[in-house]
Amino acid sequence: MFYTIIEQVVNGIVSGSVYAIVAVGMTMIFGVLRAINFAHGEYYMLGTFGAWFAIEYFDLPYPVAIVIGVVATAVIAVVVGNIVMQRIVGAPAEAGVLATLGVALILQNTVILVFGGSYKFFSGGYIEPVTLFGFTLAEQRILIIIVGLIVFIGLELMVTYSRIGKAMRAVSQNIECCAVVGIDVRHVALWTFILGAGLAALSGVLTAPVNVSVYGGMGELITFKTLPIIIMGGLGNVRGTFVAAMILGIAESLVATYVGLQFRDTVGFATLMLVLMWRPHGLFSAQARF
Amino acid sequence: MTIELSRRGFCIGTALVGVQAMSSGAFARTEDGTVKLGLVAPMSGPNARYGAFSLRGAQMAVKEITAAGGIGGRKINILAGDSQGTPVEGVSATRRLIDQDQVDYIIGDVSSSVTLAMQPVAEDAGVLLLNAASSNPKITYKAGVGGFKWTYRNYPTDENRALIVLQYAAEKKGFTKYAVLSVDSDYGRAAIEFTKKYLPRFKSQILTEDYYKEGEVDFRSVLSKIRDSGAQAIIMYGNADSTPIVGRQMMEVGIAGKIPLIGNAEFNTEKTIKAAPKALEGAIEAAAWLPAYDSAKSKAFVEKFTAEFREAPNNHAYVHWETVHLLAKAIEQAQSIDREKVRAALSSIHYASAVGDVTFDDHNQARLPMILLEIENGKPAIKGAYSAEIDYPK
Repeated sequence: MFYTIIEQVVNGIVSGSVYAIVAVGMTMIFGVLRAINFAHGEYYMLGTFGAWFAIEYFDLPYPVAIVIGVVATAVIAVVVGNIVMQRIVGAPAEAGVLATLGVALILQNTVILVFGGSYKFFSGGYIEPVTLFGFTLAEQRILIIIVGLIVFIGLELMVTYSRIGKAMRAVSQNIECCAVVGIDVRHVALWTFILGAGLAALSGVLTAPVNVSVYGGMGELITFKTLPIIIMGGLGNVRGTFVAAMILGIAESLVATYVGLQFRDTVGFATLMLVLMWRPHGLFSAQARF
Repeated sequence: MTIELSRRGFCIGTALVGVQAMSSGAFARTEDGTVKLGLVAPMSGPNARYGAFSLRGAQMAVKEITAAGGIGGRKINILAGDSQGTPVEGVSATRRLIDQDQVDYIIGDVSSSVTLAMQPVAEDAGVLLLNAASSNPKITYKAGVGGFKWTYRNYPTDENRALIVLQYAAEKKGFTKYAVLSVDSDYGRAAIEFTKKYLPRFKSQILTEDYYKEGEVDFRSVLSKIRDSGAQAIIMYGNADSTPIVGRQMMEVGIAGKIPLIGNAEFNTEKTIKAAPKALEGAIEAAAWLPAYDSAKSKAFVEKFTAEFREAPNNHAYVHWETVHLLAKAIEQAQSIDREKVRAALSSIHYASAVGDVTFDDHNQARLPMILLEIENGKPAIKGAYSAEIDYPK
């Protein structure tokens, strides 16, 4: 009984790490652009497709495929960032919703048009199970947890110490003041967006070996899983997002075990409703920031 | 205000429906001799692969019929509709085929939920709906003497399948304790309902019961639960695309090779086995058809399909190929494309399919055998063909 609970918590932490890497990008983009990026799952999908393409067509090893998936997505993010996302800075909220939904449709359908709508088989990665402290996990999942931790520590250091990181925090606090003191807001917005999209792609490539299937519509589910997490974490709050992702991952895992797998997806939305009712500014901030 | 608006909307809507009904009633379908055949299948979405195979199978049959001079000189024109695997889209695709493309016959859908929703639409329009790939028994419970006169099904049902799988597992393997992990759809749920109907006969029981959403990727929690439950086999009626994921995660939680999968979710394809060879070893599956089936007609089909599309056909390709040929034979026997006559011909048809002779019962359900196979040393081994007459609820 106790063993089962611990094992399910470990399972939850694994899926929580995946959610966290995707969600942190989305929450940072929100912080700077004040727009929910509804196309965020699509960058997750693009990263996976990039890696799949590298493995399937050029027979490249998985580590190289990770780099290709992330870089390819970053390049697309540069294009989308320049054409679409920069214009959202300071625009009304509905502009962001429409623009990102549109981008999501375009990206998803372009991939379906090019590669077909069918499921692809992702053959890379480290899927051999290993036993750690009595739990068996695929090596890939351990990699996911480690990368997740590195990403979060890296981000914390970046926003605290680096120039661009400080600029990101400044822009998320007050756009007008940033412009006054000479911070290039559009430049910061673009880089935040590329970073967020790249992280989503990284998460996609890392999970592909355990999820096996790659298909054009795979991003949607991710966007909808991420949404409750970033709201729970407090929009724009990096640390809050990490904790919220873990909470959702563990809660989902326990529900799947003790209630039933069919109720798993309700966890995110049920928490979303509760949070919106009682703590609309997220679990971790004392008051609303915006 | 709102009442006024909606009333106006309602009036316009009713008028439109009236006009539509009149137009399709008043004007006979185009009699230029071409047979207009609608194909509703999931061309996009999570089941898009099924749709692609279905369309290819149907197209190949049409090509063959055209090459042989058509049906008494008539050509067949296939019009595809995308159901995206959802009832809502399936119904709109069906409506479009009937109202705009004016088809006389529809083959569709793969998903049972979609077919169930399409049935009343085809019935209202008096268009023959010939299903080739849905296995929910309710579809033909409600057809023929059960109600819908225009629905036919050339595919075995889940009731046959559930019984045959359970019988094989109990008698040949000695299993009595099962875990359920099926897809959360009409297909997955109904298959388990019928399994439960026959459980007492084999003194068996279900220990855990879970249903996954289409597109689910994390089965670890539920598989660990199954591992600790003491189940001897996992009954799975699911999606082919989820099977490799489940297989890989079975290897992770350490039940691969210990608790086999039984049921139906394309355990026997090369791709699936390659994804998780250890997890699929010993899997038992009842299939309507599979590429390895040993009959001359079946072998010829596989060879031709593989040559044409550079990919081996799956079950959906086969059933759609066979069903187009079946429909062509009915039209040929009716010596007309008049829908009433074709329907009558279908009811009394004797068609030699690749798996055996096809006839329809009074519920418009084809009598068909199912092929039972077990994965042995990474290859599907055929354990024989079984059939069962359906016991319709009175």
